[in-house]
Amino acid sequence: MTRLCIWLLSQFLPDHLSDPVIGDIVEQQARGTLWVCRETLVALVQLRGPSRGEAIMATFVNDVRLAVRYLRHAPAFAITSIVTLGLAIGATAAIFSVIDPVLLRPLPYADANRLVFVWERDRDGSRTNLGFATINDFASQSKSLETSAAVGSWEPSIGDVDPERVSGARVSATYFKTLGVQPVIGRDFLAEEDQPGHNQVVILSHQLWQRRFGGDRSIVGRSISIGGNPMTVVGVMPESFDDVVSPTAEIWRVLGYSTTQPFACRTCRHLRMLARVKPATTIAGAMTELDQLHAALVKQFPTQYASVGANLVRVQDEVTRSFRPALLALTGAVVLVLLIAVSNVVNLQLARAVRREEEFAIRTALGASRWRVTRQLLAEGLVLAACGGVAGLMVARIALPLLVSQLPSRLPRASAIHLSGAALAVVGTTVALLAIVMALVPGRARDAHLGERLRSGRRLAGGAQHFTRSTLVVIEVSVAVMLLISAGLLARSLVRLLRVDAGFDASHLLTLEVDAVGSRYADNASVYVFHDRIRDAVRVLPGVVGVTLTNQMPLGGNVDSYGVVDFDNPPSNPELAPYGDRYVVPPDFFSTMRIPVMRGRAFTTADVADSAHRVVLVSAALAERLWPGTDAIGRHIRLGGPDAPSRTVIGVVGNVKHAGLDATTTMQWYAPERQWGSSDSQVMLIVRTANDPASVAASVRRTIASIDATQPVIRVATMDQVIAQSTAQRRLALVLFAAFAGAALLLSIAGIYGVLAGSVAERTREIGLRSALGAAPREIVALVVRQGGALAFLGIVLGLGGAILLTRFLRTLLFGVAPNDPATLSASVAILGVITLAACAIPAIRAVRIDPSEALRH
Amino acid sequence: MLGELEQLVLLGVLRVGRNAYGVPVHDEIQRRAGRDLTLGTIYKTLTRLEDKGLVVSRIGEPTPERGGRRTRCYAVTPVGKRSLQASLRTLQRMSAGVDIGLEPT
Repeated sequence: MTRLCIWLLSQFLPDHLSDPVIGDIVEQQARGTLWVCRETLVALVQLRGPSRGEAIMATFVNDVRLAVRYLRHAPAFAITSIVTLGLAIGATAAIFSVIDPVLLRPLPYADANRLVFVWERDRDGSRTNLGFATINDFASQSKSLETSAAVGSWEPSIGDVDPERVSGARVSATYFKTLGVQPVIGRDFLAEEDQPGHNQVVILSHQLWQRRFGGDRSIVGRSISIGGNPMTVVGVMPESFDDVVSPTAEIWRVLGYSTTQPFACRTCRHLRMLARVKPATTIAGAMTELDQLHAALVKQFPTQYASVGANLVRVQDEVTRSFRPALLALTGAVVLVLLIAVSNVVNLQLARAVRREEEFAIRTALGASRWRVTRQLLAEGLVLAACGGVAGLMVARIALPLLVSQLPSRLPRASAIHLSGAALAVVGTTVALLAIVMALVPGRARDAHLGERLRSGRRLAGGAQHFTRSTLVVIEVSVAVMLLISAGLLARSLVRLLRVDAGFDASHLLTLEVDAVGSRYADNASVYVFHDRIRDAVRVLPGVVGVTLTNQMPLGGNVDSYGVVDFDNPPSNPELAPYGDRYVVPPDFFSTMRIPVMRGRAFTTADVADSAHRVVLVSAALAERLWPGTDAIGRHIRLGGPDAPSRTVIGVVGNVKHAGLDATTTMQWYAPERQWGSSDSQVMLIVRTANDPASVAASVRRTIASIDATQPVIRVATMDQVIAQSTAQRRLALVLFAAFAGAALLLSIAGIYGVLAGSVAERTREIGLRSALGAAPREIVALVVRQGGALAFLGIVLGLGGAILLTRFLRTLLFGVAPNDPATLSASVAILGVITLAACAIPAIRAVRIDPSEALRH
Repeated sequence: MLGELEQLVLLGVLRVGRNAYGVPVHDEIQRRAGRDLTLGTIYKTLTRLEDKGLVVSRIGEPTPERGGRRTRCYAVTPVGKRSLQASLRTLQRMSAGVDIGLEPT
């Protein structure tokens, strides 16, 4: 009890009264515990006074002022520390600002945990979209789903004059109800609108409403022209609404399917299913139920399903699935960089503490308490960390928009990314921890030999401090190794990826999307004529070598594929037939794209004109899949449903990478435009140029406008840009990891150098003695290099271990390289080795230059 | 005019003399005035008097029975003495000739 009282008094009494009062109480403690307590209580009440808080504040301000003065006297130290911390804290804040809304926060819907996507599950575990009939059955028969909705993609063009293509979605009337959101103006879709003939209604996003309609509230209830058809706007969504199911959608149209329609069939798998699971049901429970429903459907329609079950995934998990590993890896990397930056600053502070030993020893001898000295260090740490934090926030403010602009556009919740909350918390916590670490680590090292300082004269740092500094350097090296290996793997992946043969010549290609919408293009023939006119006009432009059209292009991101059935030998279940990417192209497609015709022949203009004899070309992979080892020429295939006509294979062409350079090769088939049966209102125009493809973009645009100015021309890009876009996420990860690794390398060089330089300075006498006793310069060098080598070796071993953990998260970003790729590992280790030697060089030379007589005299 | 506590503590310090820190001042006031002041009150008063320049303090010797802690010893300054004189004289002048049951001094 007495002890507690003394402690309380020592904590709360002002300095000048603490000793006298406690002393008095101790002196008189024989009067009993009760007396001690009473005295303590009164003393605390009487003497603590209101001035105590002000006193702390005043002391603190004083400490900070002193700290600022110290740091101004060591500008190199201060600037290095602040810049290091600023960059690391800024990078950390930026990355956390991204992962906070994207990965950590729940989706911005009520009870987002109950929102799921429903798929059909295939034999190999992969998932497929659903046909409308299946969705309809699931929705009406399931007892575990509260509400559900079908979602289809939709890219309408809005307006008759100056038409604009926007991204949208076709959704069931229950879509917004399922998400748990409502239009802020107007109303939601009605159930009776969700059927054929009544589905000419749309809801706008706030952004589209502002941009296209100037935020005019009277637009609700009015008719607007969409793709040449009048549709009624029934509502506008709130500004805060973020549709993670269709992240780019700006307009929603009610689906309005009926199971009697041909495109609403079970095998017309072009819809996704969104559902809200009932609160009382688990997702696993709902999955079991849908599995049973699916099994019943398969029994009923055995030729319409290839899938083996249903698959439910939480929307939250699904929308972040493809980004999660990369974002987690980046977070790991940035935390490592922060760790390395902090250890480096602590290391610098330690080195400085060595030089300030005498100052602290004198202060202690003159009566400064240990707390007083620690408080001073704390204030210095706080000032440094706070400056670093402010610098970090500035870095983050600059870096975050750059980072966001580089993120893939499909990233959900990207609009919610801003510098706040989590990022500030990270910065704040880092700053506070850093201040404490920077005060305590040098403080601890000092305690180990307090007092010894003054007596021992000139001796520098002792064992404890060396151990701390060496540990920090080992950490830095290991982090550098981890980041270097990661960056190396990413770089090798990108190089491998860009070396992948796409199956066509991607250089000197300009690509753009041309639309043919509106009443003018109601029939197929007018679309064909429009396309022919564009091709003929563009072909004669200066600088144009060739021009062609296609409904979709390789690496363009479209998924438009049909089941391919051997007409003369169909499989028992047509759903098990292979899928081939649909390419509806003119005869000049293969020569323009430079896709080799391996067997048979390409289309001729005669084929295009002849509607009686349908012809088709298949890719080598498709030919091999359908007729392994035998000739494909002359065979007959059917594309799509059982009513599709027979087409004769007249040639086999090389495979192209359709889905992406990193995707497994898909199969393709090619049919002439006029033989396909229906025209495509959105096609890609591909222009091969003699020089820079971007240079002809303007004249191509003008040419199309001169033919029909009312049709939007969008997505103008060179094929090189298309490829870069398809690898954007990898590039971003690579650039960030390379930057982090570079920073880590620099910091570890500085760390190794610092420890060795300090050690050589400290061992001047020992080294002098050694040379005086006849040690060769070689041996002196070995002495230094051995020490540096030991640090580097430990760091490398730890780093290799850490890399195994870190690169696990990178797996989805790697291509053609194993996470433990020996070449990358050994190259990283070699780089670290060379750098260690370089860091050893100057201290080693200095050690050799030590003059024995000079060293021994002091 | 000094307050009662101030007068008591000033007189206590004067009476103890050389080694006037908390405990002896307290004991002196208790013995003579019969008032059991707490140390907190005494030190608070002393701090106020020091701020007014009526007392000065110096750091005293640490002793083992104090757990090695130093005392803070107070002494009355000339200004302090004059203030005390003025205070007590005022009381005297006011009480002179009034019968409040005190024997004349």
